[in-house]
Amino acid sequence: MKTEPVLEIKDLDVSYHTLTDTVVALKGVSLAVGKNEALGIIGESGCGKSTLFYAIMDYLPVTASRSGQILFKGDDLAQKTPKEMTKYRGSKIAMVYQNPYSSLNPSLTIGFQLEEVSMFHHGMSRKDARQAAVETLSDLHLGDAAGIVRRYPHQISGGMQQRICIAMALLCKPDLMILDEPTTALDVTTEAVILDIIQELKDKYNMSLIYISHDIGVVNKVSDRIAVMYRSEVVEFGNQRTIYKKPEHPYTRALINCMPRAGVLKENTQLNTIPGYVSRRSAAEIGCPFVARCEKKNATCEEKYGMVERKPGHFAACDRAYATDIPDKVLAKEKGAIPEGSEPEHKTILKIDNLYRYYGPHGKRIRALDGVDLTLDRNSVLGVVGESGCGKSTMGHTVSGLMRPTRGKIIFDGTDISVSWRKRSPETLRDIQLIFQNPGRSLNPSFTIENIIGRPMLKLLGIKSKQERRKRIVDILKKVDLGEEYLYRRPKQLSGGEMQRAAVARAFSIAPNLLVCDEPTSALDASVQASVLNLLVDLQKDSGAAYIFISHDLNVINYLSDYIMVMYLGRICEYGMKTEVAGSPRHPYTEALLSAVPDVDPSLKRGEIRLQGAPPNPTKKIKGCPFAGRCHRKVGSVCDTTPPPRVNFSDTHFAYCHISPEVLNAEISVKGIEGIEAAADEEVI
Amino acid sequence: MNTYLLQLKRSPRAIAGLTILLLWIIAALIGPSLLPYTYTGMDMNNQMVGPGEAGHLLGTDALGRDVFSRIIYGSRSILTIALLTSLLSSIAGIIIGFTAGYFGGIVDTIFLRIMDILMAIPPLVLAMVVLGILGNSTIVGLTIIVSITYTPATARVARGALLTCKSSEYVDAARIRGESHLYIMFVEILPNTIGPVIVEITARFAYSIMMIASLGFLGVGLQPPTPDWGMMVIENKSLIRAAPWTVLYPSLAIASLVIAISLFSDFVSKVMINED
Repeated sequence: MKTEPVLEIKDLDVSYHTLTDTVVALKGVSLAVGKNEALGIIGESGCGKSTLFYAIMDYLPVTASRSGQILFKGDDLAQKTPKEMTKYRGSKIAMVYQNPYSSLNPSLTIGFQLEEVSMFHHGMSRKDARQAAVETLSDLHLGDAAGIVRRYPHQISGGMQQRICIAMALLCKPDLMILDEPTTALDVTTEAVILDIIQELKDKYNMSLIYISHDIGVVNKVSDRIAVMYRSEVVEFGNQRTIYKKPEHPYTRALINCMPRAGVLKENTQLNTIPGYVSRRSAAEIGCPFVARCEKKNATCEEKYGMVERKPGHFAACDRAYATDIPDKVLAKEKGAIPEGSEPEHKTILKIDNLYRYYGPHGKRIRALDGVDLTLDRNSVLGVVGESGCGKSTMGHTVSGLMRPTRGKIIFDGTDISVSWRKRSPETLRDIQLIFQNPGRSLNPSFTIENIIGRPMLKLLGIKSKQERRKRIVDILKKVDLGEEYLYRRPKQLSGGEMQRAAVARAFSIAPNLLVCDEPTSALDASVQASVLNLLVDLQKDSGAAYIFISHDLNVINYLSDYIMVMYLGRICEYGMKTEVAGSPRHPYTEALLSAVPDVDPSLKRGEIRLQGAPPNPTKKIKGCPFAGRCHRKVGSVCDTTPPPRVNFSDTHFAYCHISPEVLNAEISVKGIEGIEAAADEEVI
Repeated sequence: MNTYLLQLKRSPRAIAGLTILLLWIIAALIGPSLLPYTYTGMDMNNQMVGPGEAGHLLGTDALGRDVFSRIIYGSRSILTIALLTSLLSSIAGIIIGFTAGYFGGIVDTIFLRIMDILMAIPPLVLAMVVLGILGNSTIVGLTIIVSITYTPATARVARGALLTCKSSEYVDAARIRGESHLYIMFVEILPNTIGPVIVEITARFAYSIMMIASLGFLGVGLQPPTPDWGMMVIENKSLIRAAPWTVLYPSLAIASLVIAISLFSDFVSKVMINED
């Protein structure tokens, strides 16, 4: 459809001037959003996505300079004075930010904050404004709209807060809504609900959308067209299916191949990595921003570079993604490169027996772990997945000794280690290592990498000689693709991916038998995540260590794990081999999780289960199934009163649910991740 | 390190502060050996002569003692005590604040309440009472007393700095490596709190100068004939009309040193806070 664009950006340049130099944040960006169209913008951190949004709204800091045209229904916003801009902000162009908690004023009621919008922009009376607020809230499927307006932001969940922010944006009846990573801070099931709502409201209010995210799966769900940004430039811009199926720009292709996605498993594929790192862009630089890291670059790169309409409606700055003069990297692994889960002898290394861990004082206890049983074999990877607050991190921390279990036993290699680190033997401390989520916080910023990796060697392996330690450190650094020059660097001088690799090196430097990875890639960009995941897979294969891999991202879990455990509110919902849990999920919660996963491939549609509400208050003792309140397949009152029984589907696969096993076996309403493996084979790679 | 120098270059106030401070330190180190008069030397023919007269750069006091020489000699004691005080109170503060913050719970409560009690008494009053009881003030005595009065404040700063680092994952990483509490506190955490601690030390340095000068002024500082700036002011108070230079120049000395240190410590805190 060719309609008059609502927003048209032409040759937008933005640069930031620092004391020492000038950094280019946007370079020659040209985009257009039509009426009732949704444009998704994806890119890794630092690529200029947020700057684009600030540039449109004229929210740039004083150190920035902007040139180019931003045509909003024909008016050039770049020429407007700050005073004139207030007529556009909010009322014609609305925005929703990443963190709903900091966008809402905690000391005012939600109703008051919503009313302000209509009173300011439409000059309504407070009574009319309240009416409008309640009406908008019901559009967002917030059950008790009249009740919510009387509450304060801290009294509602993060998902609800974000819906309030969207309502606030909607109240002005904007022509264009810009959403900057609105669901990044939310759980995947909540995210799915909000994405559905955004989709629905776009049509109802006849708005245009710009949706900014680092996650192509999320963007796929709401956008018609997608712009891919890399180092301050839009490198590709077109229909979402084309972007996924046949990208033209080598960066787009490389980025998609980095992402763990349906059908991509550690057994069959190595994730693509992009060599090098994103460097700052100086004002003098011209030509392709990706050239330094591109595998398809050749002599014609410079002259042939530039945004061209390669196919109708599909723009790309380069068309060499599938160039044949340079052969593709082989990503597919030979079968059997990694021993199948059944091959190694089933020697149990870790056994957790009825583990409980409570926080807080009596009476206000939070039940973080509420009776978890688990066995883990040597040389296998257990993926633990669940939403925030499900107890997955607590489990990891209890196993690694950061905290003592309240009740229950942890048996590691025959020894009872259900105590905290203080009482564990040096051997146990050495054998179990933990990798943290945020490498910036887990590496001491005051130490050099040599000190950071060397200390556990001295402390737990007792290697006294500095030379010997250094030799080993260099060896392990090589294994994680860091050179000898990193010995003397400090964490601040490293990028996020390098830091996490140094953290992996620290964990592996003393040859542990069990590695607990607590969301090790959640803070990283897609291409960096891929390199860390590859590294973890390789190290696991070489060392034979067992992993407990904790993540909220089912795509990552599915890529890396042999077994998957799904947790909800401190309890196990479902446990089994990867093929069993991800391939044919039985527990309603697993189904819901799987159907909420944002897919990298836009053609996949996995069922439509949407969970409403939030997990119950963890301080209350739950008599029945913790999931009963949100379950879409609730059997009846038995779910609320009796703990669900264990239902075995095979030797390795079980779930805790009241639904009878026959029914669970018969009705698989959600297509699993593995079920579409065949379809994925011929995709991008 | 380079960035510190670069930032220093851009801050004329910090350069001014640092220059004055360095001049005072040099004066204290080598000044006395270059002076024609000692701090007790009385020029009986030239009592209360004005600045520049009879070879006395800043004039003489009622006993014919050279004001300039006394100020230069006096800088030694005040700089020594102030430096030692800021160091000692910081070390004590770090140990107390870290212990309280690290272990938390009952230890924290006890330490904090003791600090609260000390803080409830104004430092000057506390120092005056103790020095009054002890009678003869020496450099060591003064240093210890002033350090004690300043320890609670530094302890609080150190405790706060520790608490921001304590929840970091590198502390967890050290724990599950089986490190001792002492190692975690002083090897893992201390280097990361160095910013606020240095800011505290420099700020304390300026406060100490004021405190020592005040104690001298109140007559419980170093005893005569030691040239103490605060004491010089009070000694010559009655001459303020007849020979204003005897009061003015020691006062200016105090002011210039305090302002110089303050200017520099402002810069230090800006640099240290920016860095994080």
